[in-house]
Amino acid sequence: MAKITYVDWGGRSTTVDVANGWSLMQGAVSNGVEGIVGECGGSCACATCHCYVDPERLAELPAPDDNELTMLDLAAAEVRPNSRLSCRINVSPTTEGLVVHLPETQG
Amino acid sequence: MLHFDPYSPAVDADPFPYYKRLRDEAPCFWSEEAQMWVLSRYADIVSAGQDWRTYSSASGNLMTELPNRAGATLGTTDPPRHDRLRALVQYAFMKRNLEGLAEPIRAIAKRAAEDLRGETTFDFKDFSAKFTVRVLMAALGLPSGEEAIVDEDTVREKAVLMVQSDPRTRSKGPEHLAAFEWMRDYAAKVIAIRRAAPRNDLISNFASAEIDGDRLDEREVLLTTTTLIMAGVESLGGYMMMFAYNLASFPEAREAVVMNPEWLANAVEESLRFNTSAQRFRRRLMRDVELHGQTMIEGDFVCLAYGSANRDERQYPDPDRYDIARKPRGHLGFGGGVHACLGASIARIATKIAFEEFHKVVPNYSRVADQLPWMPSSTFRSPLALELAVHS
Ligand code: HEM
Ligand code: FES
Repeated sequence: MAKITYVDWGGRSTTVDVANGWSLMQGAVSNGVEGIVGECGGSCACATCHCYVDPERLAELPAPDDNELTMLDLAAAEVRPNSRLSCRINVSPTTEGLVVHLPETQG
Repeated sequence: MLHFDPYSPAVDADPFPYYKRLRDEAPCFWSEEAQMWVLSRYADIVSAGQDWRTYSSASGNLMTELPNRAGATLGTTDPPRHDRLRALVQYAFMKRNLEGLAEPIRAIAKRAAEDLRGETTFDFKDFSAKFTVRVLMAALGLPSGEEAIVDEDTVREKAVLMVQSDPRTRSKGPEHLAAFEWMRDYAAKVIAIRRAAPRNDLISNFASAEIDGDRLDEREVLLTTTTLIMAGVESLGGYMMMFAYNLASFPEAREAVVMNPEWLANAVEESLRFNTSAQRFRRRLMRDVELHGQTMIEGDFVCLAYGSANRDERQYPDPDRYDIARKPRGHLGFGGGVHACLGASIARIATKIAFEEFHKVVPNYSRVADQLPWMPSSTFRSPLALELAVHS
């Protein structure tokens, strides 16, 4: 279990407990956090779970694989150096307190 | 003693009382009848769906699997192969790429609805069957109209039959296997036609696709195409039957969506939760797992009861109430994790358009029969027929 904070485009922040092994996308969707769609359910095939990870903590996360990078290109909102697909980041004790910002649109 | 038999007609008709006992008393339960573990709580099923390394689909995902499918389709392979296969077809099914289908889908819905004009009672299956087969033909690029090589009713009949199982023998009967073979032969003919003269459609593209420079092997092309037709026709048709069943059973919900069609989108989500048509899928354990005091052993099969997760009071307050204003967060009507439904977007769009057009012709209806004939299936749940009475 880790506390994850999602901050939407308008600046509203929601903090929820997410179980270990769940993706950041699943944590948002199961808790009714809007701003992450997750159209493909987490198979890295839609880019509607785009998020911006706190740049300070980016290095703590496993790096994105090629699939994720290809799919990120299809994200509807601006892609930044700290852009990730939230279905590809799993919650673990190291993600405790992670803050992710949600983009203007998921398309 | 607690029992859970996914082959029993009582479970086909109403699995919910069984699920409730499982969730409360035995959330990790060994079913003798099914010879597999049954997970019934929302959180456990989501966790399993996230963890494909432990909960593998490569030995099949249907509760009662069809021969040869394991390892050869999207639903029956694990990453990384799964993700690459999925990337090949996902593009065609992404919401933003489906806009071009909205008008053809509406035309199909209008025609199917017009056929009902003037009827006083009818079987909703006549509408949903016609509609789904035509929509899938358009979406996948199956030969239709002048080009058609089989008639629509047969496609739908075979798709429905191949997902069923025999409640007595707890396996696929000869008629179910024959339907599967029919569908495979049909898929093979379509693939051959599209290879000979490729068009810009899903099957043409898929039949010649490569993964990392490798052509897909023939078994993958054939069984994935077969599964797409089956999953599309049966799942969409079965779901529409359930949606009509809910609207016919709850007049206030029906009136609300007839008056305000923009409510249909919410009603669709709540129906996927409340009366999940894709009730149960299975996985196989790649390692031992301890859960709720039980030890499941590597190699065991595990049923993910999505239909139970969607009624879990730990996730949804007052879960047995059909409430179209609920916005059921993270429901598992389309599954979850890497195997979440490929067709979710097209199913949502198609159902919404279908009911908009259906309600223009038949706004006021109710169920004729109290008891319905439920499909004998360990995986899916929907009525085989749904007689509706039309009111003025
Ligand atoms: C409302 C209608 C539908 C429902 C309720 C539904 C439900 C589901 C569910 C629950 C799964 C997950 C299976 C698992 O966990 O192993 C799934 C997977 C799948 N569905 Fe659907 N489905 C629907 C419509 C469609 C349509 C229209 C298509 C195709 C045209 C489709 C194609 C697939 C495929 C290919 C998979 C496997 C995906 C993968 O493993 O990556 N479905 N569906
Ligand atoms: S949920 Fe589709 S790419 Fe993440």
